[in-house]
Amino acid sequence: MSIEKILFPTKFRELAFDALESLFVLKEAGLREVLLLHVILREDVGFVPFGGYLRKEEERRREEARIRFEDWQKSLSEKGIDSRIIINVGEPVHEILTVAEKEQAGLIVVGRKKRIDTEDSFIGSHTHKIITRTRIPTLVSKYMVQFQWDDATLTKVNGSPFEAPLVVVDWTELSGKVVGFLSGLCGAVRKVRVFYNLDADTLRGSSESEISRLKEDSLRKLRNYCGKLESCGMEAEPHLGAGEMLDEILRVSRERKASMIMIGNTCEQHFLDRMLHRSISYEVTRASELPVLLVG
Amino acid sequence: MVGSYSSDLGETLSLWSTLPFIGMLLSIAFLPLFAPKFWHNHFGKVSVFWALVVSIPLLSIYKGVALHDFLEIVIADYLPFIIILVALYTVSGNILLRGTLLGTPAVNTGILAIGTALASWMGTTGASMLLIRPFLRANSHRKNRTFMVVFFIFLVSNIGGSLTPLGDPPLFLGFLRGVPFFWTFKLLPHMMVAVIILLALYFLMDSYYYKKEKVEDIKVERKKEPFGIEGTHNLFFLAAIIGAVLMSGMAKLGEVRILGIDTAVQDLIRDVLLLVIAALSMMTTRKEIREGNGFTWFPMKEVAILFIGIFLTMMPCLKILQAGEKGELAFVIQSVREPYHYFWITGILSAFLDNAPTYLTFFTSLLGRFYPGVGGQEAIVRLMNEHALFLEAVSAGAVFFGANTYIGNAPNFMVRSIAEETGTRMPSFFGYMLKYSIPVLIPVFVIITLLFYL
Repeated sequence: MSIEKILFPTKFRELAFDALESLFVLKEAGLREVLLLHVILREDVGFVPFGGYLRKEEERRREEARIRFEDWQKSLSEKGIDSRIIINVGEPVHEILTVAEKEQAGLIVVGRKKRIDTEDSFIGSHTHKIITRTRIPTLVSKYMVQFQWDDATLTKVNGSPFEAPLVVVDWTELSGKVVGFLSGLCGAVRKVRVFYNLDADTLRGSSESEISRLKEDSLRKLRNYCGKLESCGMEAEPHLGAGEMLDEILRVSRERKASMIMIGNTCEQHFLDRMLHRSISYEVTRASELPVLLVG
Repeated sequence: MVGSYSSDLGETLSLWSTLPFIGMLLSIAFLPLFAPKFWHNHFGKVSVFWALVVSIPLLSIYKGVALHDFLEIVIADYLPFIIILVALYTVSGNILLRGTLLGTPAVNTGILAIGTALASWMGTTGASMLLIRPFLRANSHRKNRTFMVVFFIFLVSNIGGSLTPLGDPPLFLGFLRGVPFFWTFKLLPHMMVAVIILLALYFLMDSYYYKKEKVEDIKVERKKEPFGIEGTHNLFFLAAIIGAVLMSGMAKLGEVRILGIDTAVQDLIRDVLLLVIAALSMMTTRKEIREGNGFTWFPMKEVAILFIGIFLTMMPCLKILQAGEKGELAFVIQSVREPYHYFWITGILSAFLDNAPTYLTFFTSLLGRFYPGVGGQEAIVRLMNEHALFLEAVSAGAVFFGANTYIGNAPNFMVRSIAEETGTRMPSFFGYMLKYSIPVLIPVFVIITLLFYL
């Protein structure tokens, strides 16, 4: 399954175009159209206290967005990618999800496409809401980030997210979906690292022989996934981790210089579920300096 | 209920002390009109400015007395006012009407009638927010939607709210002062006259445009969506709001002192219940329902910020009026004598200033005129028994005339904003008055005057 249509919502912040450019490579994987979406906040133009609506302000913002998008469209067109401009007034999360559903987008690209300070989580509230509410594959783009590693502050530019992704699997149906989605990206992806983690609890409660059997079994399954991906023309190698899931994903992604993390979207929509169940996909998205592609 | 307000301060305050109130109301009247972008971005600062202009000199001169009166108006009027608005706005925003309705004259008249009936129970803001989007969707194929939205503002956003304190903020302020919950049902005949005339006129106008636009010949192509209501459990919350307000009007559970202000325990319980109901409504309703209604806290935030300025600046004005003929506004009390005077003066001012403070001003002037120096609750009971028609005139004037302009009542501007956002051309501030409210509403109010106040 290739991505034919991408929804790219933007507030035209710093590095937004760079983030868009980093997706051009998907043309090699079948990308045909990019929907450029800008949402004018309803509160910025509507509900003027005792006044009503700032029609001229809306028109001005629409025109500004259109001019910027038209400039971007030239670059897309040069790459042979079609594009459409959508400018709506409303609440961003609702508009993004509604347009994505209506247009049957194959991928939503969200996230801050600008420098992210070290103190911040790598995702904002809108991104959080989107990834908890949609099952459409969603790329949380992090074009340029600063992050802490071994007491040092590093800056990273994630300019080629699809080049060498780390795919996190756990043998569930969702993992199968992730691998299936990835196999549709051949042409854009050079090398894949397929990762499975033997979690700390399992290791604590198992004997040496059980661990050995588990390890062999896991490696066999990982090789199966790799085989599937290799048959699509990608280089693929298995990686096994052991310990706390989140730490291991972050460790391996850094050691192996992954360009992106792909994981099944287990984010819970409901507040209570979120409280009770710590979603690993959310934790990875929040903590990793790499772009994260969530497949639902 | 609110205890008696001391009128001593009102006897000594100069007319100058009412200038910040006038400034605040003029800001609301003119800045959205002449500097809408500035107003949109800075209305909070304007509100704070006028609040400081009134509070700093009064607190410097009158110290503890002024502080007490400011706290009293905030605790007894402002906070319950905002809490009831938030509760009604939240619960009604969590009810979503879905479905494909086709906007024919009969369907549209039906929607307006239902909205008018709902407004007294879920607030004019709540009923407006619930129905305006389905109403506009139903008529998206119609060319001329402007008059539809204007009649919606007349009926659902204003006149429909005249029967209970939940309906319109002025009546809730009256309720907080001691007017019983069902007393405002006395306005039913007045309301029915207005509603019947306006609905009939609307039906005629809509039928005319329907034929002129040859709507029957236009094939409306849209996905058929079955009609339905989502978030129906919020109807239970709506009933709970009515129950909580009723309870506070009937129970007598004593008083507690908060920051030196005597506050009825049942009022505190009501306010806590209302906040709990709003929170439960939010927690138990899917986000998609609110999003379908275009729900945002922004209008409530605006109302909360603007009204703290209104209430604080209003305090000296209320005090002077409450002092009756001993206060510097004695000339107002002397010149406004008859019920129809009150109906029209409250109404005209409500149209250009917000109707909630205007109601409170004339409500207080009635107490000052008939019962100067008499304690709040006793004066109110006597007013309802001995001069009920005056209070009816003030109540009807405040609620009905709010429809005359975009600034007369808070839902007017919300409805206008949503209509314009969805592509309906709305008249300018003066266009609204010249084309619609003066030729349509004023004759209706003349009829009401002839029938009830002369």
